[in-house]
Amino acid sequence: MTNPASADPELDEPGTALLRVLTDSSADLPEVDPGRVAAAALRGRHPGSDFAELRSLAVEAAAALIAEDPQYSRLAARLLAREIADEAVGEGAVCFAASIAVGHREGLIGDGTAAFVARHADLLDALVETPAGELSGDDRFEYFGLRTVQSRYLLRHPVTRRVIETPQHFLLRVACGLAVGDSAESVAEVAELYRLMSRLEYLPSSPTLFNSGTRHPQMSSCYLLDSPLDELDSIYQRYAQIARLSKHAGGIGLSYSRIRSRGSLIRGTNGRSNGIVPFLRTLDSSVAAVNQGGRRKGAACVYLETWHADIEEFLELRDSTGEEARRTHNLNLAHWIPDEFMRRVEADTDWSLFSPADVPELVDLWGADFDAAYTKAERSGKAVRSIPARTLYARMMRTLAQTGNGWMTFKDAANRAANQTALPGRTIHSSNLCTEILEVTDDSETAVCNLGSVNLAAHLRSTGPLDSSDPAGPADAIDPADAIDWERLDATVRTAVTFLDRVVDINYYPTPEAAASNARWRPVGLGVMGLQDVLFRLRLDFDSPGARRLSTLIAERIMLAAYETSCDLAARLGRHTAYGETRAALGQLHPDHFPATAHHWADRWNDLRARVATTGLRNSLLLAIAPTATIASIAGVYECIEPQVSNLFKRETLSGEFLQVNPYLVADLKARGRWNAATRDALREAGGSAQEIPGLPADLRSLYRTAWEIPQRALIDLAAARMPYLDQSQSLNLFMASPTIGKLSSMYAYAWKQGLKTTYYLRSRPATRIAQAAAAAAPATAAVPTPEEQALACSLENPESCEACQ
Amino acid sequence: MTTAPKQLLDPGFELTLRPMRYPDFYDRYRDAIKNTWTVEEVDLHSDVADLAKLSEGERHLLGRLVAFFATGDSIVANNLVLTLYKHINSPEARLYLSRQLFEEAVHVQFYLTLLDTYLPDPDDRAAAFDAVENIPSIREKARFCFRWMDSVETIDALRTREDRRRFLLNLICFAACIEGLFFYGAFAYVYWFRSRGLLHGLATGTNWVFRDESMHMDFAFSVVDTVRAEEPDLFDEEMGRQVTAMLEQAVEAELQFARDLCGDGLPGMNTDSMRQYLECVADQRLARLGLPARYGSGNPFGFMELQNVQELTNFFERRVSAYQVAVEGSVSFDDDF
Repeated sequence: MTNPASADPELDEPGTALLRVLTDSSADLPEVDPGRVAAAALRGRHPGSDFAELRSLAVEAAAALIAEDPQYSRLAARLLAREIADEAVGEGAVCFAASIAVGHREGLIGDGTAAFVARHADLLDALVETPAGELSGDDRFEYFGLRTVQSRYLLRHPVTRRVIETPQHFLLRVACGLAVGDSAESVAEVAELYRLMSRLEYLPSSPTLFNSGTRHPQMSSCYLLDSPLDELDSIYQRYAQIARLSKHAGGIGLSYSRIRSRGSLIRGTNGRSNGIVPFLRTLDSSVAAVNQGGRRKGAACVYLETWHADIEEFLELRDSTGEEARRTHNLNLAHWIPDEFMRRVEADTDWSLFSPADVPELVDLWGADFDAAYTKAERSGKAVRSIPARTLYARMMRTLAQTGNGWMTFKDAANRAANQTALPGRTIHSSNLCTEILEVTDDSETAVCNLGSVNLAAHLRSTGPLDSSDPAGPADAIDPADAIDWERLDATVRTAVTFLDRVVDINYYPTPEAAASNARWRPVGLGVMGLQDVLFRLRLDFDSPGARRLSTLIAERIMLAAYETSCDLAARLGRHTAYGETRAALGQLHPDHFPATAHHWADRWNDLRARVATTGLRNSLLLAIAPTATIASIAGVYECIEPQVSNLFKRETLSGEFLQVNPYLVADLKARGRWNAATRDALREAGGSAQEIPGLPADLRSLYRTAWEIPQRALIDLAAARMPYLDQSQSLNLFMASPTIGKLSSMYAYAWKQGLKTTYYLRSRPATRIAQAAAAAAPATAAVPTPEEQALACSLENPESCEACQ
Repeated sequence: MTTAPKQLLDPGFELTLRPMRYPDFYDRYRDAIKNTWTVEEVDLHSDVADLAKLSEGERHLLGRLVAFFATGDSIVANNLVLTLYKHINSPEARLYLSRQLFEEAVHVQFYLTLLDTYLPDPDDRAAAFDAVENIPSIREKARFCFRWMDSVETIDALRTREDRRRFLLNLICFAACIEGLFFYGAFAYVYWFRSRGLLHGLATGTNWVFRDESMHMDFAFSVVDTVRAEEPDLFDEEMGRQVTAMLEQAVEAELQFARDLCGDGLPGMNTDSMRQYLECVADQRLARLGLPARYGSGNPFGFMELQNVQELTNFFERRVSAYQVAVEGSVSFDDDF
C-alpha cells in the first residue's frame, strides 16, 4: 500500500512515528488505509505538535472514516487505548494495584476497597494482564464505547484532571468495590464479575460504574418518591430529599398527585392555592442547580394522576412558548393514568377533575377500589369541573407529539401485577425517570433500584459474523431458540443478580427514607441490551413471529435464572424482611397475573415455585428493562429492546460526536460488492433508511428497516409478550415520523388494551425537510452539509434515554 | 384599483393571496413555523465550565467568533427590511420574509444571550459590539456587506433592467456570500469545538440557527430561480462573472477573518483547511446558481461531514428540539400505526 504521507518532504520525526504506529495498529484490518489517516492527521497539525497530539488527531481522523468502513472504529479505539494507557502511566497507574493506590492517596478510592486490593494485589494485577494470543480487554471496545469510557467513567486526578486508571483498571475497580469478605472465594467472585464486564457480556448501570469502590459508593440508578403531602413543609422537605439524591447521580421519579389544585382553599391563610405549577417551577430550578458530581445536571420526572384538576397546566409545562414562569424545561412529565379514564375515552363520556384536597383517598387506591371512590366523589359533587374525556386525551396526544414528553403510564396495570401491593394501602404511586421501575412508596419510604443489563448479543452460540453465503441460510436452518447459549445466559444472570443484590448492602444512601425502603424490599432491576443485534445476526425481522417468540423466551429464561438466584441468596443470607408482605409469599409469582401465558420451561417453573415456597426470596423485584443508552454504547450494541433508529447516525455526547453505521448492513452489502461511495451517499440522502439502496434484496431491506419503518404495533406486541416475565416494567419508546392525533390515540389505546404498564418517549422527526437543491448540483466530492442533511442532523436530538438508569 | 403585477420584481404592494401566484413561498412560510424554537430552550450550562478549559488561542478564536455573530444577524435583518421586503412584490413571499425576520431576531437574541453568558465583564461585551468598527477582520466582512447594501440603497422601485440586476446581486450576495458563506464559515468553528467535546450549548443553538439559515438561503435562491424564469435576460453571462467575482471577494474576506482566528493554527483547525472548506462551500453556491465551479476543492473537515447524519442525544445533556410544533387530527381508535 502506498501512502501519501511517506512522500511528504515535511514528514518529521513525530510524523514518522505516527505512521509507524498506524501501520502496526492496522496490520489485521485489511480495509484500513493508514496513510489516509496519517495524511488527515498531519493536515490538522500546527507548529509544536508533538507525537501525542498527532496521535490524538489521528484518532479523530480515523473516527471520521468509520462511516466508510467500520474497521476504522477498531483503529481509532486502539489508538485511543494507547493514549489512555500513556496518560494513566504518567499519573503512576503502572498496574491495577498502583492505580488503586493513586486513587486512594488522592482521596477518591474508599479505604475498604484500597485495603482489599492491596492484600490481593498480585492476583488482581494478573487479571488485567492479557495472556499471549488472547484478545485484550481493551481490544473488545469499539471507538464509541472507549471514548465514552474515557470521557466519563475513568477516575481522574483531582488536580491534573488526567486519568488515573485504564479501562480494564476501571472495570476491575468496579468489581472490587463490590467484594465481600477477604477470602479466596471473594477474589474468585470479583474475578468472575470482572470477566463478564471485560468481555462486555454484562454491565451494571452507570451509577455503579461511576461510584463503585469510591468513597461515596452511591450505586443506585433510580429513586422513586411519593408525592409530598398537601402541606408546605412536606413540599419543601421533598426538595431537599431530591437535591441530596440528585447530587449523587440518581434519577428521580416523583408523584405530585397529592398537592391541591389551583383555586383550592388554604385554611391557614384563608387564601386560594396557586396549584402545582409554581411548586414544580421551583423543583425545576432545584433539579437544574444540583450538578451530579460535576458530570451532568440532575434529572427528574414528575407523575400526575389524570384526574388532578391542574392537568391542563401540567400538559403545558414543557411548551416552548407561553409564560416562562409556568414552564419547566428541565423536568420530564408523565401521566399516571387509571383505567377508568381510558374506558371513558373509549366510551366518549365526560371525565371529572378534582382537587386532591377534596378527594385525598384517590391517590392510594387502584383497580375496583379506585373506580368506586372516583364515581362516588363524582356523585357527591366534589369535582372541580368536568371535560369530555376525549378532549383531554387529544391534548395528551398533542403534548406527546410536540414535546415527546407526557409519558403514558398506567396506574392500574402497574399495581395489579405487582409483588409489593399484596397488602391494602400499599400502592405504587409512580414509575421512575425512565418508566421501567415500579415500586411502592409512601411518605417514609423512597423506593430505590439498582440496575444492570445483560448484553444479549454476547450470548449467541456463534459469535462470528454469520456467513450469508451459507447455503442453508442461518435463519432457516437454526431454530432461533437454539441460537442462544442458554446455560451461559443463566450463569451471567446468576452473577449479575448476586452483585445487584450486594449493591443493596454496600450502597451509600443519600436519604434515610431511601435506606429504610431498600433494607426492607431489596429490589433490583436486571435488564437486557442488544436485542436488535441478536435479531440482525439471526436475520429475524423485528415484527416477525420468530422475533416475538425469541424475545419472549429470553425474558422467560432471564426471569427464571434471576428468581432461582434470589432463592439461593435467600437460603444463604435470608429473605428480604418485607417478604411476608409480598404476593410471592402468598404463592403468587409475576407470570401468574397473566393466566394465558404458556411457559416454555414449565418444569423449571414448577421447581422454582416449590423453592420459593421453602426459601422465600432475597429480593421483592428482580427485573426491569432500562434504556441502557450509555452502557449499550460502551458495549457497542443497540439499546435494550429497541429497534435500530437508523442505519447511519451520529451519536453526540459530552465526549464529542461519533458516527455510527450499521455494521450488519455493511457486512451484507460488502458480501454483495455494494458497499461503495454511491451506496453510502444513498444511505445518507435517505436519512439512514436502507429501503432505496440499489442491489439489496427484499428480505434484507425488510430486515434493515428502522424504527420509523417498522409498524409500532409490533413493538407493542413484543413488549406485551414479554411482560409476564418482567416483574417491573420496560422503557418502551414508540416512534412516529409524522404523528397525528388520530394515529397517536389509536396507538396508545392499543398499548393500554395490550396491558402495558408503562410507555416511554414518543419520538418523532422534525417538521422541515428542505428541498435538496444544492446537493444535486454540487460536485460529488463536496460533502458540505446541504439544507436537507442539516435538517436530518437535528432530527433525533431526542433524549435517547437515561443515563441514571443505565 | 391596480392591475396585478405580472412579475415578482414589478414595483408595488400586491395584496392578493387568492388565487395564489407563488404557493411555494407560502409553503415555505408554513414549514418555517413548524421549526419554531426559543432561546430559553438552549442550555448554556456546560459551556461556562468549558470556557475555563480553552487554550489562549482557542479563547481568542471564540471571542472573535462571538463578536462576529453578535452583529452578523442584525446586518442580515436590516437588509431584509430595507431591500428584500420592499422589492419582492408578492404577499406570500412577504409572509415568508416576515417569518424570516422573526428568526433573525431570535438569532440575534441567542447570540446576545451567549455573549452575556460568555463575557461577564460589561466592558468586554461593549467591545464585542464595537467589533464592526474595532476589529479589522470583522470590519472587513462588515464592509463587504455594506457595500452590497449601499448598491441598492437609492433604488426606490425596480423600474429598469439595471435596477433589477442590482437587486439580484444584492439578494445573491446575502444568500450566497453572507448567509451561505460567512455563516457557514462561522458554523464550522462551532462544530470544530463541538467535535472536541466543547461548547455544546453554543452548538445546540447553532444547530437551530444553521437549520434556519439553510432555509433562508434556499428561499432566496428560489426567488432567484423565479426571477430568472420570468425574466430570462436579467441573469446573463456578465452577471455570472459578477457573482463569481463577488464570491471570490467573500472567500477572501472570510479568509482574512480565518487568519485572525486561527493564528498559526490550532489542533484540527488552521487557515489552510479553512480555505479549502470555504472554497468548497463557494463552489456549491455557484453550482446552485448554475455557474461553473471556481475552485474544485473538497471539504477537509470531517466534523462537518458529521452534520449530515442523524444524531441521538442523551437527555441529561441536551434538550429536545426536533419535535413538531403543529399536530393535527382528532381522537380515533383504528388509525394505522
